[in-house]
Amino acid sequence: MSAATARQVMSLAPSDPPETHGDPSLGQKVLIRDVDFFYGAFQALKNISMPLHDRRVTAFIGPSGCGKSTLLRVLNRIYELYPGQRASGEVIVDGENILSSGMDLNLLRARIGMVFQKPTPFPMSIYDNIAFGIRLYERLPHHELDDRVESALRRAALWDEVKDKLRQSGLGLSGGQQQRLCIARAIAVRPEILLLDEPASALDPISTQRIEELIAELKADYCIAIVTHNMQQAARSSDFTAFMYLGELIEFDETERIFTRPKQKHTEDYITGRFG
Amino acid sequence: MSADIALPRVAPANSRRHAPGDFIFRHLTFLFALLVLLILGGVIVALVDGAVPALRHFGISFLYTDVWNPVTEKFGALAPIYGTLVTSAIAMVVGIPVAFGVAMFITEICPIWLKRPLATMIELLAAIPSIIYGIWGLFVFAPFVQQYIQPAIISSLGQIPGVGALFAGPPLGIGVLTAGFILAIMVLPFISSIMRDVFETAPPMLKESAYGLGATRTEVVLHVVLPYTRIGVVGGIMLGLGRALGETMAVTFVIGNAHRISASILQPGTTISASLANEFTEAVGDLYLSSLIALGLILFVITFIVLAFAKLMLLRLQKRAGG
Repeated sequence: MSAATARQVMSLAPSDPPETHGDPSLGQKVLIRDVDFFYGAFQALKNISMPLHDRRVTAFIGPSGCGKSTLLRVLNRIYELYPGQRASGEVIVDGENILSSGMDLNLLRARIGMVFQKPTPFPMSIYDNIAFGIRLYERLPHHELDDRVESALRRAALWDEVKDKLRQSGLGLSGGQQQRLCIARAIAVRPEILLLDEPASALDPISTQRIEELIAELKADYCIAIVTHNMQQAARSSDFTAFMYLGELIEFDETERIFTRPKQKHTEDYITGRFG
Repeated sequence: MSADIALPRVAPANSRRHAPGDFIFRHLTFLFALLVLLILGGVIVALVDGAVPALRHFGISFLYTDVWNPVTEKFGALAPIYGTLVTSAIAMVVGIPVAFGVAMFITEICPIWLKRPLATMIELLAAIPSIIYGIWGLFVFAPFVQQYIQPAIISSLGQIPGVGALFAGPPLGIGVLTAGFILAIMVLPFISSIMRDVFETAPPMLKESAYGLGATRTEVVLHVVLPYTRIGVVGGIMLGLGRALGETMAVTFVIGNAHRISASILQPGTTISASLANEFTEAVGDLYLSSLIALGLILFVITFIVLAFAKLMLLRLQKRAGG
């Protein structure tokens, strides 16, 4: 990151307490700057600016339709699959604006993993589900591919449950297992950033807990952004929280502050359940 | 008005004056439905009944004898069966990849404004009567094949040792290959519209997951969408195959109608339906006629199996989509 960009990041960042600045590992992986987003004529995001810190979890919260999922979808430009959706502004990842037109979208998406609301295992074996993404970009000898698949499944805390049935279809797993399979699939390609779009909303409480534990482990290596409807989940598993409302970023701060001493009345009303 | 007053009113309502009309309507529609089954059964009975003399006379050897001699009254179905299967196979080999490409373009790549017009135009291919395909095939397409495609095939594929025999001989224009091409064009709209429909059943989120890993469109379609919809795709192919097997007019025009099996697919041949269409009027003698009907029975059985298989495949797809 250039010095100039770094300065801008500093000036943009909310009033971080000194301890986070003191930690040299806490770089700002992503800088979202003045991002607007349109579904056709409808403006879904209005002038969003915020950082995502490396090796930290940032939660996007807010009522339905506030644009939190949309913001997530801007970060890997998955919205480009659909004509009529467009974003403007800048999203700077490691000093490079990924919204620029010259960006190779496939390479970008290989660097930024995404997990969706509902588990989406591919119609193939558990092994091939994980190997699929690796094979897209790397030609590995068999044993290395095996290792990569195993380590991804281990990281997603799924290995012990599936190691004896790697050749069976991924569709045969339970919902919670399928979602961990999708997380394993996303981290198998060794992305730098993980985008989680309500990853536990379709799961039972026990599976949800496992996913949250997993997020806590994964943040040691990744920059994670998670969209969630669940206040407790945001409070438990994130380090930073962005509260959004009607396409605007109302407040961005450390999770602890957002949930204990929010600056905006609006934020307080939402997290205390007065609206939303 | 209370409930116990309303209740007795229901009974008279059921036996209102127009009830006889309803009675007739119900039984009439049932009769129509029954009629379809009766016709199907009648066709089968007539086919079997007509085929019995030939099958009794030639036995099972009717199926694998390659003789068709009205003068000596020796008939075997091998050449038409062979022609039917080979033309359909060529139609599938040529038609499936094109249909797949069309379906993929329409669902994944095509800009929205072009989607509907393109899909409609391809479906209109199915609205062209087969006799038009026959005339076009004979007067336009066959000469084109003769002048450009066949010489190219003979001088390239025909020179390969071993498989060369498949592509040998003079470029006649009409022949098995040309019939296969025409069939490919005719089944294209059927296969591609079914493929398009089943491709659209792939959940957007599933596709996004694959794109999200950095997969290209081709990779998403080949490795995710196609496996997800494979049963429907196979069902669509089977429906196309069923149509190709039974197609008569267009094939009769361009296949050359020669009752023989040539090693080369460039040479004339015949199919079951082409034989029937050509020879019914001149079939003198019971055995000749019966042999033709037996050919029809064989075609019916082949097509029935293919279509039943297709329905089964599509049924399994629907079950999975629902559950």
